[in-house]
Amino acid sequence: MNIKTLNCLLISFLFLLINSCDSKQSPPNNRIIIGISADVQSFNSLFAFSYEESAIADLLYPGLLDFRWNEESGELDPFPMIATSWQWAEDSSFIKFTLRDDIFWSDGEKLTSADVVFSYDAFSDPNVQSRLFGIFNQLYTEQDGHIEIEKTFKVISPYEFEMYFPKASIPDLVKLVVPVIPEHIFNKVSRDQLANHESNFNPVSSGPFKLKKWSRNQTIILEADSVSFLFLPGQVAELVFKVVPDYTSRILQLKKGDIDLVELVKVEDMDELKAEDNLSMINLIGREYDYIGWNNIDPTEYSKGKTKLHKLFGSSNVRKALSIAINRKEILDEYLLGQGELSASPVSPIFKSAFSDKVKPYEFNPDEAKKLLFLEGWKDEDRNGILEKGKDEFKFKMYYPVGNPLREYAAVVVKNNLKSVGIEVTTEKMELGTFIDNLYERKLDSWMAAWGVPIPLDLKPYWYSDPNIGVLNFACYSSSEADKILDQLETKLSNERKNELIKEFQEIIHTDEPVTFLYWTPNIIVYNTRIKNLKITPYGVFVHCWEWILN
Amino acid sequence: MKSDIVKTLITRFLSSVLTLFLLVSFLFIIIRLSPGDPTDKYISAKLGSELSERIAEKFSLNQPVTDQYLSFVSNVFRGDMGVSYNYRLPVFEVIWEYFSFTLVFASISFILQMSLSIWLALWVIKKRKKWLDKFVTNSSLFIYSIPAFVLGVALIYVFSVSFNLFPISGLKSLDYDYLSYFSQVLDKLHHLVLPLITLTAAGVALFYKYIKESMDDVLRQTFVINLRASGVDENIILRKHVIPNALRPLISVAGVELGILLGGALITEVIFSLPGMGRLTVDSIFSRDYPLVIGCVFTAGAVMILANFLADIIKLKIDKRLVKGILN
Repeated sequence: MNIKTLNCLLISFLFLLINSCDSKQSPPNNRIIIGISADVQSFNSLFAFSYEESAIADLLYPGLLDFRWNEESGELDPFPMIATSWQWAEDSSFIKFTLRDDIFWSDGEKLTSADVVFSYDAFSDPNVQSRLFGIFNQLYTEQDGHIEIEKTFKVISPYEFEMYFPKASIPDLVKLVVPVIPEHIFNKVSRDQLANHESNFNPVSSGPFKLKKWSRNQTIILEADSVSFLFLPGQVAELVFKVVPDYTSRILQLKKGDIDLVELVKVEDMDELKAEDNLSMINLIGREYDYIGWNNIDPTEYSKGKTKLHKLFGSSNVRKALSIAINRKEILDEYLLGQGELSASPVSPIFKSAFSDKVKPYEFNPDEAKKLLFLEGWKDEDRNGILEKGKDEFKFKMYYPVGNPLREYAAVVVKNNLKSVGIEVTTEKMELGTFIDNLYERKLDSWMAAWGVPIPLDLKPYWYSDPNIGVLNFACYSSSEADKILDQLETKLSNERKNELIKEFQEIIHTDEPVTFLYWTPNIIVYNTRIKNLKITPYGVFVHCWEWILN
Repeated sequence: MKSDIVKTLITRFLSSVLTLFLLVSFLFIIIRLSPGDPTDKYISAKLGSELSERIAEKFSLNQPVTDQYLSFVSNVFRGDMGVSYNYRLPVFEVIWEYFSFTLVFASISFILQMSLSIWLALWVIKKRKKWLDKFVTNSSLFIYSIPAFVLGVALIYVFSVSFNLFPISGLKSLDYDYLSYFSQVLDKLHHLVLPLITLTAAGVALFYKYIKESMDDVLRQTFVINLRASGVDENIILRKHVIPNALRPLISVAGVELGILLGGALITEVIFSLPGMGRLTVDSIFSRDYPLVIGCVFTAGAVMILANFLADIIKLKIDKRLVKGILN
């Protein structure tokens, strides 16, 4: 075979290849493709630890009630789902749930009270190690956190049951509702083997979609389940989650029309995507904020089991001075192109009833910062450009995890801003796993990171003084006033009173400034305009996606 | 002679096993000494570290490193690499799912690298044009110096976005299951064209340079001049005398390249969203999935040793005098 023949063959083959596959390039009209960066490892709601896993598991396993975001109050309102009604006892000691009698699992079995009771049992079982293990303290539980089923549930009929609460309990519906999983599938499996069970990868579900096909690290295809009680005529036939780890590739596919929806689009791509006729965007602000952590106590002493204020960041005035010295607006305008919002406390503006308008972000004012530092005894006596207090110079290392260009940019601004007030900062990137490990051990003096905001609002783990309760209080912030409010929030109070307390809490945090709150970062969602009836709220992007329709 | 080969083969096998054992042992200690904890992600706001402690207990992560190591060694000798923390499946079950793709993808790329580079070198030699030689040599140098992520993105932009000829990512179409068997094969190949070009281009350029120089050396040898003077056909000289002699130094490099390819092609896999060993290894490192990290490194080490062994066998086939030197 000579080279010419070989070339001809090669070209013919390529031509055949391109033509043979070109005909099936256009996807069916009734299919929505969502670009995600990582694959799931399980479809079982018990083990849906990651964002993608819980988004998909929630579509397969609905809960007793449906929750919808109320834009006006910034709270979740309950609606019927598996339960058609729920009735509180007069003394709030129990709730009577009545279930729909027309719900079928995808294998044809009926969903009954037994499935609901089993779900609570499995989610709380320490041998299962589910993602919700340990959160059922509103119910009767054993010492290890396992719900006492007999005390908690009274099954009246296959479609009616009562859920009982201990006397001191303050039940909250949003925290009580768990996804319902099929008892007839999982009761045959030993609890400690549930995580490895085959049904986790081939789920029997009751939601508006059921799993059609999963190609690991490629695609997850959910198809509309026409026997589901949530099935709507005209609903999209298939919801495809396409795993595309490379961001650039996700955006190119979005532009080309191979993907219909992408979350977490970078602000720098906004203009280009806006120019596309077939794309539309939503900017969700208020579910995540960036901050600079100042360790309020000395990490070396902490490692020895002692508590001593940090020599640099122990004083609230110094921390305030640091916040005032950093030009957060510059980062917001220059890097985020004005798409975020400056933050002043951990309470997001999305919680409209609880958000305090009185708490405003500190204005950038280097002179004021210098004054505050001077009052705290920090002076540049040796005129080397760095402030001193006794033998201590004001210099420290600020860490941030690798792979986030926004933080890289912000670190440079922070370094330069603080240099201008006489503080020397060395910035250092750290691998994410190592970074998190150091935070849990309270080893870092200063760091830049982000917090996601849980719905419903939950402040205690992040700001409570006792490290056993405030497990995520990496700054080791301690305030008896704040603790008192956080304790009060767990007592029986009206919603109005709770909101007042949360507003007071924001004022305390603003005065103490345990960390420097930077900005609420945007979650830019870009989607194809052929998707209609898209109701994206801070509660989630996919929560009611069975209501989406295609043009 | 035969007993010598058997003896050296057994020695080679044992030393390979020892190398692999030392590799995974070293890795076991290094990753446990490094910061980061695989159970950190189970620390919940409400419960603190209770769930993470239970999971650490389940996977024996709360035991002293020496105890963990001894248990690991005894399991390895039973052929059990443990269970992946993330996938909750036996390590080799997870690896096989990814390795099967890498095996096919890397093999096709390797065959393409070898055949295209040899074909190109022969074509340039046959043409006997200085400008062509210079052009191909400089072009190969240019291609070799392009990073895979640049080439991959450029190919996507030109062939997928601008001309819509190939898919941007993935291994198959969403409607793959509805296609006939023949169309399914074509569909996969259609998806693999750009990733294969990305992975293969640098290899072709590298091997071309090796082969071309090697062939030029052989062509300058006296025996080739004698053959030409005796009137032997140029094609026969090339096929029977030049190629076998020129390929010998290439085989060792090819063995290493095959080993590297089978260990995973991270950048190509990420750009084109392919489920290969490179992505699996990196993901397992970032999530601190210790058994899976060790399993991936073990697999990469094993294929590297195997690929080199294969290269040595081929060299031996070409020249039996090398038995002892190669196998030892």
